[in-house]
Amino acid sequence: MGKRLLMAIPITLGVSILTFWVLNLVPGSAAQQLLGVEATEEQVRALEREMGLDRPAWIRYLDWLGGAVTGDLGKSFVSDQQVTSLLGERLVVTFELVILAMVGSLVLAIPVALLAAYRPNRLFDRLSMIVSVSGLSVANYVLALILVLIFAVQLGWFPAIGYVPFTEDPVENLRTMALPAAAIAFPLFCFYTRFLRGDLVDQLLGQDYIITAQAKGVGPWRVLIRHAFRNSSFGLITVVGLNLSTLIGATVIIEQIFAIPGLGQLMVQAINTRDMMVVQACVIVFAVVTVVANLVTDLLYAVLDPRIRYGSS
Amino acid sequence: MESPRQGGEITVLEDSAFAGSWPTGLDPASNTTGGANIAMMQAIYGGLFLVRANDDGSNARVEPHQAESYELLDGGKTVKIKIRDGIKFSDGTPLDAEAVRFNFERNLNANCTCKPTWPLAEKDPITVEEPNTVVLRFSEPYGAVINSFPVSNVNWIVSPTALKEMGEEKFRVTPVGAGPFKVVSNKLSSELVLERNPNYFKQGLPYLDKLTFKSIGGDQAAYTALLSGQAHAYEGMNTVPLLEQAEANDKLTVTLQPPTSPYVIQLNTQIEPFNDKKAREAIYYATNFQAIADGVFKGKYPVSQSFTASGGLFHKETVPGYRTYDLEKAKQLVQELGGMKIKLGTISNYVAKQVVTALQTQWREAGIEVEIVDHQLATLIKEFQTNKWQAMLQTAGAWDPASGVGVGFRFTSTSPYSGIKDPKIDELVRKASATIDQAERERLYTELGQYISDNAYAPFGLAFAPGNVVVKGVYGPGLTTKIPPLMVNTGVIWDEVWRSQ
Repeated sequence: MGKRLLMAIPITLGVSILTFWVLNLVPGSAAQQLLGVEATEEQVRALEREMGLDRPAWIRYLDWLGGAVTGDLGKSFVSDQQVTSLLGERLVVTFELVILAMVGSLVLAIPVALLAAYRPNRLFDRLSMIVSVSGLSVANYVLALILVLIFAVQLGWFPAIGYVPFTEDPVENLRTMALPAAAIAFPLFCFYTRFLRGDLVDQLLGQDYIITAQAKGVGPWRVLIRHAFRNSSFGLITVVGLNLSTLIGATVIIEQIFAIPGLGQLMVQAINTRDMMVVQACVIVFAVVTVVANLVTDLLYAVLDPRIRYGSS
Repeated sequence: MESPRQGGEITVLEDSAFAGSWPTGLDPASNTTGGANIAMMQAIYGGLFLVRANDDGSNARVEPHQAESYELLDGGKTVKIKIRDGIKFSDGTPLDAEAVRFNFERNLNANCTCKPTWPLAEKDPITVEEPNTVVLRFSEPYGAVINSFPVSNVNWIVSPTALKEMGEEKFRVTPVGAGPFKVVSNKLSSELVLERNPNYFKQGLPYLDKLTFKSIGGDQAAYTALLSGQAHAYEGMNTVPLLEQAEANDKLTVTLQPPTSPYVIQLNTQIEPFNDKKAREAIYYATNFQAIADGVFKGKYPVSQSFTASGGLFHKETVPGYRTYDLEKAKQLVQELGGMKIKLGTISNYVAKQVVTALQTQWREAGIEVEIVDHQLATLIKEFQTNKWQAMLQTAGAWDPASGVGVGFRFTSTSPYSGIKDPKIDELVRKASATIDQAERERLYTELGQYISDNAYAPFGLAFAPGNVVVKGVYGPGLTTKIPPLMVNTGVIWDEVWRSQ
C-alpha cells in the first residue's frame, strides 16, 4: 500500500507540470485581463514584470512547486486573495454536491438493479432498462434544465438557483442542493443500474457458487443478495471509483447553471480571467481527488475480498 | 398603476460571462471590469452623475446626482463640480469636495478600462475650491467630460476614511460608498448582498430594504430562475427565442432598451484586401443587415448606418450616399478584384455568432470566400495587436460617441482596435469630443459618419439592444422603463426600484 501511496506523488507532480505547460500555451495573460482592452503593450509588459509573469515558465513552476509543498498555493493574480482560502470556501460546496450525487445514485440504483435482476426480461426489468438507456443519452445540462422546469418552475418544490450553507440552515441547504445533485446523479444512477443488473444476471446464469447455493435450497432473494450482489459489489466499487473524476467534471457545468459557489464555478471564472494560479490549484485538487479515490477504491477492494493483498507477492 | 412603496427585497441576476463577473472586487480604483459592473457600482456608490430619460427612453441626459451642479468654463478647459451639501457615506463620514478630489486622483491611476481619458493640465489639474467644489483643469477643451462620467470610475466615490481603516484588500470586497445600498456580504463573481443605506441623502429612498446580485450561467438559467420565483430581475437578455417566450409570459415584463451601439464590420485598411477601396465597397454591397435583423432577430434590433443607434446622441437615421445591399454590384467588384478570400473574426457570443454566420452566407453569394474565426476576449485582443486581422465584427459606440467604447476606439489611428489610419478621422473625433457646443458636436459627428461612409471604411449593422426581464410587480427606471444603455447594459436607478406586495 505504501508503494501505491508513493506512486500518487509522481502522478500529481506530472499533472501539475502538464497543467502548467498547457496554461502557458493559452493565449492572453492575467495582466492583459487586468488592464483591459485599452492597455498598451508596454503597460501589459510592465504589469507582467510586476507579477513575475515575464520569467521563464520553468522558474515560475519551480517557484509555485516550492510554495505548494509547504501548503502555499500563492495568490490569485486577479483578486489578490490567497488561493488556499479561495479553494477552502469552495471545496466544501463541491464535495457536498459530489457526495449527495454519488450516494443518491447508488441508493436508487442498487434496489432497482436487484429488482430488475430478480426477474430478468419481465416488465420491471424492461422498464428500468428503457429509463436507464434514455437517461444515459441525456446531457447533464439538458437534464438540469428539465428538472428546473418541472420541480422548480411548475411544482415549486425546490429552488432553481442559489446555495445555503449547511451550517446556516440544513433543510434549506438540502433543498438548494436537491436539483443540482439530481442532475448529476441521474445519469450515474442509469449507468450503475445497467452495470449492476448486467453483472447480477451474468452470475445468476450459471456461476458455480450460485448453482451450489441454489442446489442447497437457498431462496432466490437470498442467493441474489448474499451471493450474487456481494460478488458484484467489487465491480460496482471499481466503477464508482473510476466515475469520481467524471462526477467532479459534471459539477463544473452544473454549478454554473444553478449558481452554486463551488470549485467548478471558481475554475470557470479563473479560466475566463486567465487567473493561472487559481486554475492550476483547481486542476491539482481534481487530480488529487481522483488519485485518492482510486486508492480508496483499491483499499475497499482489499477489505471486501480477503484474497486481495497489496504489496505482497 | 400603483404608487411606489417602501420595503421588500429583490434578487437581480447578471450573466456570469459579463456583468456577473467582478473578480477584482468593487473598489472603483482596483476593479478592472467596471464597464460591466455599472449596476453594482451604482447601487453601492450612487454616482456623482446619472443618465436619466423619459419613460420611453427619449430625452436622455446626464443629470447631477451626488453632484449638485457643474459649470464648463474657458471653452471646456475648466470644469467646476459642486457637490451637494450634507451627503454622508454609509459609515457616517462626509462626502465632500476633498473626498471627491481624493477619489479622482486615485481612480485616474487605476487599472480599469473604465477610467476616463481626461486631457489633464500639468499644473493643478484637480483642486478643491470650496468645501463643496472640485475644479478640473484640462490642457485642451474636453466638452464631453460630463457625459463620460456615468461610464467611468470617477463617478463612484468611496469613503476615504473607510478605505484607510480597512486597507485596500478588504475594502475591495466590502467597499463603503454613499449610494442607496451598503454591502452586507460579497462573494466575488458569485453573490453580492446589499441592504438599505440609512444615511442615504435622498429622503424616503431607496424603496427596497435589500438588493442581492447573483451571477448566473446565461440566459436560459436566468429565465428559469425568474419563472421559479428565485430571482426578480435579469439584466441584458439577448437570446431572441427566450425574449419572445418571456414577452408571452404573463408573469414577466420585458423591457427592450433603446439601442445605442450598432454592430460594425471593421475592415483593416492597412493590409490586403481592404487597403483597396473596391474591396471595402464590395463588402458594403454584399451585406444585407436588414435581412439579418428581420430574419434572425425578428425585427427586435433596428439597423443603423452610422456609429450611434436610435437611442444614442447624434443619431442619424440614414447617411446620404450610404452603399446599401446590391448583390450585382458586389459580384462585379469581386470579379474585378479577381476574387476575395477573407477571415472574419468576432467575439464568441450568441448574437455575434449568428450575425457572422449570416454574413458568411450573404458574402458567399457575392463570390467572397469567408472563414469565420471565433475568439475569446484574450485571443481577440492578441489578434488586434498583431494587426494581421482582416475583418472583425464588433460593436461600436456608446450613448455618447465620445465615451466608453466610442467611435474613437474603433476608428482612430491611435487605437490598436481600429484598423484605420486617417488623420481626418482623428481630427474630427478630437474636435467633436472637445467642443462644448452641442450643435457643433452634432455637425462634426454627422460629418464623421458621412466621411466613414464615403470612404467605405466600415459598414454598420443592426444595433444591439439589451432586454431587461423582471417578474411582475417589480418596477424601476431602467428596469421597466427605458434608459439608453451607457455601454452594454442600462444604468438602472436602483434607489427608485420598488416592488408591490
